[in-house]
Amino acid sequence: MTGRTVHLDGKPVTLAELPLKGGGQAAVFPVEGDDTIVVKLYRDRPGPDLERRLARMLTMSPLTARPTDANQPPELAWPTAMARSPEGEFLGYAMRRFGEPQHVQLVGLFTRAQRLRLFNDRADWRFLLGVAWNLAFMTARMHYDHLVIGDFSSSNVVVDANGFVTFLDCDSIAFTDPVTGEPFPCLMHTTDYSSPERQSGAAATEESDNFALAVLIYQLLTAGNHPFGGVPHDSTPESTVKDNIAASVSYVVRPEAVVIPRGTVDPSVLPPGLLTLAHTAFGAGVHAPSARPTPEVWLRALDQERSRVQLCRTRPLHAYGSHLPTCPWCTRAAVTGHDAFNLPVRPTIPAPSATPQAQEHRFGLLKVLGVLLLVVLVLIVLGHLS
Amino acid sequence: MHSEYPPTMPAEYADIEFENNAQRLPLVLCLDTSSSMAGAPIQSLNDALAEWTRELHDDVSLSYSVEVAVITFGGRAVGAWRGPQLLDPRAPLNPFVPAHAFQAPRFTASGVTLMTEALELAMHVVAARKAELRASGLQYYRPQICLVTDGLPTDATGHMTDSWHRLLPVLAEEQQARRFRLYAIGVGGITDRGEQVLQAFAPKFNARIQGFPFRELLQMMSASANAEQKGAGDEVFEKIFSQFKTQRPAWES
Repeated sequence: MTGRTVHLDGKPVTLAELPLKGGGQAAVFPVEGDDTIVVKLYRDRPGPDLERRLARMLTMSPLTARPTDANQPPELAWPTAMARSPEGEFLGYAMRRFGEPQHVQLVGLFTRAQRLRLFNDRADWRFLLGVAWNLAFMTARMHYDHLVIGDFSSSNVVVDANGFVTFLDCDSIAFTDPVTGEPFPCLMHTTDYSSPERQSGAAATEESDNFALAVLIYQLLTAGNHPFGGVPHDSTPESTVKDNIAASVSYVVRPEAVVIPRGTVDPSVLPPGLLTLAHTAFGAGVHAPSARPTPEVWLRALDQERSRVQLCRTRPLHAYGSHLPTCPWCTRAAVTGHDAFNLPVRPTIPAPSATPQAQEHRFGLLKVLGVLLLVVLVLIVLGHLS
Repeated sequence: MHSEYPPTMPAEYADIEFENNAQRLPLVLCLDTSSSMAGAPIQSLNDALAEWTRELHDDVSLSYSVEVAVITFGGRAVGAWRGPQLLDPRAPLNPFVPAHAFQAPRFTASGVTLMTEALELAMHVVAARKAELRASGLQYYRPQICLVTDGLPTDATGHMTDSWHRLLPVLAEEQQARRFRLYAIGVGGITDRGEQVLQAFAPKFNARIQGFPFRELLQMMSASANAEQKGAGDEVFEKIFSQFKTQRPAWES
């Protein structure tokens, strides 16, 4: 059984019967016989505003000027064609497919089990730091091109195995038509990433993007903890992350104000420069949009740390900032019994200091040195012979 | 400062759940397993639940936020299930299982329709879980309760009863206070009177659906969970629900 037929730039394609994902507003369908694209169809007949928005977007090609690594996917799942009914009615649009397993929602980096399942042995703190950098870079580039992300969350950004990020829901981006000057506002938002002014109905701005960016970077650098998690002591039973944001209650800034969940990673895993930015974003910056660190400020601070990451000698997948004298993930495992990056060690396996992987690594290095030494010796001997 | 973990969480999840401080979304499936569901309907429910469980495991954003509890009303009593395990009613255990670890139970259909008691139990486990989460410093989205039935509320002897009237003020108040979202869905050959009961329970989110489209029903619950995570307004939930209501089997014109 097959699904409906739609026309992409006049060319008929058949959609799969079942959508990949569907929400209240739209559903995303695979295309039969072409697994490189997907088609997003709106549930309600989309109005002329939306059709004009898509038409304008198709004339723009943002973020294309920079030459990218051949391995890097585009940073935006920009619309590639209008989707119309055979009768010509506007239904939605086509875009490149960024699906699992190659592309994983950012939220997949926020729990150990999913990091291990979806990113094999790659998603250590150095990787998370790199993803944070890519995310800040993408945001900076979008703002440079006068695009406001608007609905910026851990579900509409995907990450690939190299840590490259792609923003998915481009039809909600806020922008002003460079030709006609017509504004196209962002009408969506995700409450857990919405700044207080956005929650109370203000338009999306670069500053509201900066708020979401700070939350996402903090989540990445703490292996998944939302900075507005925890239950405030004086809250009502139905209080949520959204309420903590509105009340400016972050345990990063005011740990005394909340009951912090037991497994929460201590904010001190952030190097001092980054922790200061987090304090600004989740303290003064909550209600003062202009005080929030910009993507460029995050980039500079992240840049400084990327080259200084330390690797733990004891356990695999333990990487940490240069500001710490010892591995915080080993400390955490020793104190709480929970290793944030590795599965629990079964009792039959010997002490972690002798993990086979670490040993193999050391022997590998020895082997390389040995071969090098041999080559040098041979060269010397040959030199003498000639 | 750091609180203790819910004491009732099964040990096998402790290490995984230790680090998981995502905002939780409790979801209760409150399912009719009385004798009228015997045969193809209960088989269809079991299959759909198994399929949905697989999808839930693979869902990157729902699997570590949604927590599933199952309440059944059939046989001679109501039952709370923690995954595939029917809990002893005398032991006050939390039936919620994180979605990534949820295993679908398999039901057999028999007995009476203690719908009133089942809804009361559903409300009770939701309230208990919320208190437990809160004490642990964990936040939660508005819980979802999904009531599915093909009949009318009965008492323990299988006779129709008006006891469900006692639920109406409670349900109205709880929904008004946004303590949970209740979906009440009539399936199969549910009668007009049965539908009226569901309308009284959930004035906005009730439906009478042809056949036993459990798969679509569970997908609707996932879509609703997604909307909850996004912080969508009530109109989005109404839209998701109305789309579900208007779905029809393909062979029906």
